Amino acid sequence: MTGVAWDGSSVFFGSLVAVVAAALCSLAAARPSSGGRRGQEVVLLLLSAIGAVVTVVATDLVILFGGLVLVTVPLYAATGGRGIRAVERAMPGFLLGASATATAGYGIALLYAATGQTAYAGLGRATANPLYLAGLALLCAGLVTHLALGSATRPSILRNVAIAAALIRLIAATRNGDVALDWEVTLATIGALALLVAGLGALTERGIGRLVGWALISQLGYSAIGVAGSAAPAAALSLAVYAALGIGVLGFLAVVPAADDPTLSDLAGLARRRPVLVVGLGVLVAGLIGIPPTAGFIARVSVFEAAVRAQLLWLVLVGTVAAVAGAASYGRIVLACFAPPRLDAVAPPRARVATTVVLLAALAVLIVGVFPGPLLDLAQSVRF
Amino acid sequence: MDVLVIPLIAAAACALPIGTLARPLAVFAGLLTVVAAGVSAWVGGSPFESVVWAGPLGAQLAVGMDGMSTALLMLSGVLFATGAAASGGVRSPRAYFALWSLLQATVAGILIARDLILFFAFWEALLVPLTLLMWQWGGADRRAVTLRLLLSWMSGSALLLTGILALGVGARTFALADLGGYRLAEGSQVLFALLFLGAFAVRLPLFPLHAWHARAYVTAPLPLAIVLAGIISKTAIYAIARICLPLFPRGMADLAPYLIALATVGALYGALLAMRQRDTRTFIAYATLSQVDFISLGVFVGSPTGREGALIASVSHGLVVAMLVLLAGSLARRIGSFELGSGGLASRAPLLTTFFIAAVLTLIGVPGTSGAPGDLLILAATFARSAGVGLVAAFVMILSAAYGVGLLRTVFFGPAAVVAERPDLRWRERALLIPLLALVIVFGVAPRIIGDLAERDAPATAGPGR
Repeated sequence: MTGVAWDGSSVFFGSLVAVVAAALCSLAAARPSSGGRRGQEVVLLLLSAIGAVVTVVATDLVILFGGLVLVTVPLYAATGGRGIRAVERAMPGFLLGASATATAGYGIALLYAATGQTAYAGLGRATANPLYLAGLALLCAGLVTHLALGSATRPSILRNVAIAAALIRLIAATRNGDVALDWEVTLATIGALALLVAGLGALTERGIGRLVGWALISQLGYSAIGVAGSAAPAAALSLAVYAALGIGVLGFLAVVPAADDPTLSDLAGLARRRPVLVVGLGVLVAGLIGIPPTAGFIARVSVFEAAVRAQLLWLVLVGTVAAVAGAASYGRIVLACFAPPRLDAVAPPRARVATTVVLLAALAVLIVGVFPGPLLDLAQSVRF
Repeated sequence: MDVLVIPLIAAAACALPIGTLARPLAVFAGLLTVVAAGVSAWVGGSPFESVVWAGPLGAQLAVGMDGMSTALLMLSGVLFATGAAASGGVRSPRAYFALWSLLQATVAGILIARDLILFFAFWEALLVPLTLLMWQWGGADRRAVTLRLLLSWMSGSALLLTGILALGVGARTFALADLGGYRLAEGSQVLFALLFLGAFAVRLPLFPLHAWHARAYVTAPLPLAIVLAGIISKTAIYAIARICLPLFPRGMADLAPYLIALATVGALYGALLAMRQRDTRTFIAYATLSQVDFISLGVFVGSPTGREGALIASVSHGLVVAMLVLLAGSLARRIGSFELGSGGLASRAPLLTTFFIAAVLTLIGVPGTSGAPGDLLILAATFARSAGVGLVAAFVMILSAAYGVGLLRTVFFGPAAVVAERPDLRWRERALLIPLLALVIVFGVAPRIIGDLAERDAPATAGPGR
């Protein structure tokens, strides 16, 4: 079959998409809600997962576009909800996402105009045509914009894993071609900006959802640094770690008492009411900060090692310093759980499935942190 | 390896509903560590083990013990056992002792890691139990103090990680055994030494980087202050002696004048501030700042004598700081606060006074206590390097005598103040202090016990570049 590839990268990211989809579906199925919304959400997630797999394996721009639409559109519906308030909340994400998809589509059109074909292999044989560069830039801008949207919503993990995997494939096709594009500086800048903006932006943030969103964006920044250092395995590993951390911390949000936009003070007393859950959250947040022995540490070390190998020492310095700002920001999520409970506190919902998902994610993060060998070996199958 | 596994098992056991057994378990884990380290040092067994850990990263699970790490491991076992025994009646004891044992495991990991990535993993992982212990069980103002400590230490670690990765990628290995044969270009050694020292000097703390220090000692629960001053600051001295000196001999030699100057200034500064303190905890904090900077002098001068002196003084200071913190706690329980200046306790509490005097005499390095041999060796090494600096260092020792005796005068002599009904030490308090005092005297009379350990690995650390 042309237009798709079944290589190590497809297997690695395809499996990752499957695991993420399974976790998201179980979270969605367990969510207390009225009417048939629960079933709808699972269907939408599964549709999105199909799109994600298509995006991951695509080696043709047309198939990539199809996958992109299939992965993103169901998510707008899944993150929205019934009622005018829910639709209003979902609207900005939908508009931005739709224009990002349109930008990517425009870029694909320009690429076709410049090269006369849509296969990635054709991109590698490109000439130094301004149209080609503009098309590639628009396509990548559209894809990267998707990565930054709605980072605190659970389905965004599925989308981001797929799109990041597609970006790795695109970059591989263009940097090894006749007109070898130098992605290093661009990606290093994107990675450093993601880390810095997320680290600094989160410093004054008090909403848990937005804090977690910033934290996950900085995790994607680590993947960008891995690609900048020409280390696809490191980038793949940090994407897998991103997915585990994202599912864990966003699953945790389902257990926070105040349903609508909870802040740090809503976590007060949680350590006493749900000690096991808070231990799991502690592991996940340590992973977000990159403290050993968690998978976050392994991911951080492997992408920074790649960056040093690519002579990007400045990037490592920026990244490690941004990680300190991140520690100050994300660490507050755990520490807030230890505050004495407020008098008017609502009891946290039982949410057994969410608790299980959080604990499983934490366990995975811890196991990979202590025994990183197997996952590191698996990630070696992702190559440029 | 056992020294790492023992506290981990103790920490895991705290997850079981063992209730009040948690404290004896933590004490036992500390003592067992001492035995395990002693057995592997004197009876033998293969001291170095290595298995592949994170293959594609090039990191190995390489552990091993040399003389210096054995001595510090045994010290850490004693201090963690003492601290656990002194943490009676804490809130949520299982969580507390689980974190306590985890902290012990990370300290042991720092001391036995023979791979830079593994070393960094433990170096950084230590922050988690430490931060949580301070955040949950600390005193007034603990949130701000904990954050300040966390951010200072992590900033230092950021530089360390950069340095480790840059070094390891260049050398194609992170194992210390292989890095020993790798010679960096002379020009870049200073840069690497600075990146590594960034982390070590913050944790020490070396003079201008001590912003987190005094307030942390006031805020930390007393047992945590024991290990913070007694062993965690010593891991920085260990790291400088074990990593910076052998890997960057040229860079450390170039930096030595500046480092020696900073350490001397820090020792003077801490001693001067210690004289002015009105609170036993800040007194201990500044005395410790003065002492650890003085000890680091022994490492920075770069001679084997200095390193041996630094090790002996580290062990001695660890023991004496534990005594001082325990005594400060006993004192505070009797007079109701950590404020100094009640006076007149000598006649009412003769035992408390005796122990306090013994601790202070050790702190200021009176011969016959374990404080003397280490200080004298450091002083000798410093004089050998530069007579001027040696003179200033000798002045630090005079100042330390002044602050020590000043403390004794304000607390124990002079007009009597109102104190509790039975002001003298209870048996429970004596039981903790007597073994420490015995060790202090044993090491004072026979410092060769530690000196032999230090010399055991002298050839390996002589630093071929110097």
